[in-house]
Amino acid sequence: MMAKKTVEQKIVDPEYLFFEAKREKQFITGSEAVREAVKRANVDMAIAYPITPQSESMHLVGDIYAEGYIKDYFRGESEFAVMSSVAGAAMGGVRVFTATAGPGTLRAFEMFPTWAGARLPIVCDFFCRGVNSPLTIQPDTIEIGFMLDTKMMIFHAETAQDLFDMTLQSFIIAEQPDVHLPIGVFADGFFVTHTREIVEIPPDDIKLPPYDPYKSPVPAMDMETPPIRQMRDPFVMKSNFISYASHASWQQEILAAAERARKHIHKYLGGLIETENEGADILIMASGTAVSQAHEAIWQANQEGIEVGLIKFKVIRPFPTEEIKMIAKGARAIIVPEFNISGWLAKEIRSVIEDNSKVVGAPRVYGGMAMPPELIVEEIRRVAR
Amino acid sequence: MNKGIIEISPGFEDVMPREYIDLVNDGPYGRKLGIDDLGTFKEAIEEHPLCAGCALALALRLVLASLPAIEDTIIVGSTGCSSLAFSQVAIHNIHSLFGNQNAVATGLKRALQIRFPNKTKDVVVMAGDGAIGDIGLETVMHSWFRGENITTIMFDNEIYANTGGQESCMSPKRAVLYMAPTGKKFPKAAMPEVAHAAGCAYAATITPASPKRLGKIVNQAILIAREIGSTYIQIYCPCPTNFKFKPSESLKMAKDRVKDETYLIKEYFSPEAREFVEGLEKGGGN
Amino acid sequence: MNRVNYQVMPGPECYLPPAAASMGVVLPDEGRALVEGHIVTQEEAMSTIAEKLLGAKHPTFFPGPLILWAWSEKAVEKARAIKEMADAVGAKIIPMPDYRPKYPMIDPEEEINPNHPNLTIWHNKIDVCVFAGVHCHYANIALKIIRGGTDCYTIALCGEYGHEDAMITLRDVRAQDIKRLTEVIKKKQAYSIETSLMNV
Repeated sequence: MMAKKTVEQKIVDPEYLFFEAKREKQFITGSEAVREAVKRANVDMAIAYPITPQSESMHLVGDIYAEGYIKDYFRGESEFAVMSSVAGAAMGGVRVFTATAGPGTLRAFEMFPTWAGARLPIVCDFFCRGVNSPLTIQPDTIEIGFMLDTKMMIFHAETAQDLFDMTLQSFIIAEQPDVHLPIGVFADGFFVTHTREIVEIPPDDIKLPPYDPYKSPVPAMDMETPPIRQMRDPFVMKSNFISYASHASWQQEILAAAERARKHIHKYLGGLIETENEGADILIMASGTAVSQAHEAIWQANQEGIEVGLIKFKVIRPFPTEEIKMIAKGARAIIVPEFNISGWLAKEIRSVIEDNSKVVGAPRVYGGMAMPPELIVEEIRRVAR
Repeated sequence: MNKGIIEISPGFEDVMPREYIDLVNDGPYGRKLGIDDLGTFKEAIEEHPLCAGCALALALRLVLASLPAIEDTIIVGSTGCSSLAFSQVAIHNIHSLFGNQNAVATGLKRALQIRFPNKTKDVVVMAGDGAIGDIGLETVMHSWFRGENITTIMFDNEIYANTGGQESCMSPKRAVLYMAPTGKKFPKAAMPEVAHAAGCAYAATITPASPKRLGKIVNQAILIAREIGSTYIQIYCPCPTNFKFKPSESLKMAKDRVKDETYLIKEYFSPEAREFVEGLEKGGGN
Repeated sequence: MNRVNYQVMPGPECYLPPAAASMGVVLPDEGRALVEGHIVTQEEAMSTIAEKLLGAKHPTFFPGPLILWAWSEKAVEKARAIKEMADAVGAKIIPMPDYRPKYPMIDPEEEINPNHPNLTIWHNKIDVCVFAGVHCHYANIALKIIRGGTDCYTIALCGEYGHEDAMITLRDVRAQDIKRLTEVIKKKQAYSIETSLMNV
């Protein structure tokens, strides 16, 4: 039930909170970075369900609920139920947060396209973990591959700093009236959630402005918003062309909403990708902690006199199609290291660039295996020959 | 409810279709109407696509007329026959997925408590026996364990009617149905007892053949849910289309099943709910 | 479809037209507007809206739930302004009271529905229409279906960020903006009467 305590925090402009407020360095884990982001996000309700390696972050969110930073918090009965409850809360017009991982993502899967289709600006953190069988709790980014066609927006954090910034900024991007879609902020389990690093964060006595349900592109379900005769969402399923065309147009509008997010992503995240030495002959394109491994590999390659550029994907949905198409033109080889067996990022890149034979879908590790930078260096040497 | 949402803006009165003018002038909002007033006002349900003789359609109509505060009620439904009627219902209602209704209702009720701390917003789940007893039982029972302030109403037609007539946990034992080609092997699930044991403050069964009693049950279940905790109502809604009887015999079927005790009328109160209802009766109701 | 040269123009465009946002059309920033996919000033857009409406055979306004229902003072003020604008144009008003799909029970003579807006446009031979007070999601769905199957010229007066699926869209529209637009329409009317008199 609702927390009795409340904490006084000053509401500030998102731009001030993100870019201007003086930041302090803290040596914290990724899970703690989630707590710090939610603390400043003016979240009304958070709902939790345990799964490794996510649990710690939602314990910490529970702690700040008890301290009075969040108005309501409880443990749901399964990921499917939790994702359903946050949907109900979002339709009721409040700002909600939750998080899950790997098997939890799959257990809840039916809800993700439902969130997007219903235009719910839910922010959910996903701490990537392998899926059964056999059981594993270790980091593996396979779940992002499953999520690609849910029409949710997908951000991929490399570090705890990314996780903090992306989680906090996602609320503002997700809630734009022309976007109003769910955002999944993905971070690699354990590598990001359970390791400590320096994260720069603004003070905790300021927070984002509240969510305004009256700016939503769909009415909140509160019996205070017209029209009164309103089903979320009305069935469009009679057997005729009129109904099919309506459903098709609805789906297109969801993708269009993600397209509109590009402008806001540029404003708040500084773009969908980050590039270093993008004119190099050999490029590495990666997301998540594969970017950190790539950095190390590039340093080693440089020692051997091989020049390599790096493209870091911060956003997977909407996909940075035009950016990648353009950058890929000048490259001779594109190495895509991934922490999953399907190679979804390599497939995505191949699907948008002109000459997809340039893409080297390697190295790939999975099941929790680490990715020694030497594996990437081997690929660099191979294409440099 | 903000009363303006059911008033037409100046200048547009002449262009609004008749059904909306009727809702504005003669709708149920803020008027404390009940079963006895049916036929004298514009109801919250418009034409619907359910079959002739559908007892669920009648039950829905009776339930809507019995809500203690329709102007501040939000319905959460689920996939099935009933969901086909809900897009025609003139109050806010949610269809999310099949079987997640009580989880959605949990989030919605809590959200509305945050946004409107000084108003009462009734969140009522209305779904079929498949949604509540089978696929959604987990979310249903956990909403009861937590004592969420919501009322769950099952339209029990004892079958998956919308998908063409398959066995549900609420089908009678031995019924030969799709997916039970040699007859159902286990008895009708004891949902009222499950509700009671799971912590519902109030659980009752009824049929639309007893409209006044149905009205009273719905009204008190929602009032108990506001003050005490979860409540459950199970309404037997005979389905002529799938059980192959004449559409004109739906209510007879309901009466007969109650009479021969193959559909049991039950009522469970928690001591707190009992005391609350006695207080209501002494105070002359709401 | 050619993404580079995509233009938001009256249809009938094709069996299933794309969403303009997916074809690279971007919504205007604050203070700007969109005409046929191009960013222009608000004044230019208002002038084009006036021309389109005054040149139309069957101009029609589609007020949506956000202004049809008197749920706030702002809604009522906006409703009055839209009514005045429609009267100035001499346009018909066909309401969109809610968003539930009604096909085949819809009476296209008296209402429009976002799930099948083409029926109302075909039935009433509407050549220029104005959307106002429709929740953005439903407006976009409807505008795209209209572009797909009809030759109607669509204008969206949006209280939020605008609609790239309309041929013309204004954003952040408040009651005073609608009044300003009505003045532009009235001025153009007066001017055209004047010039036609001079030609006599």
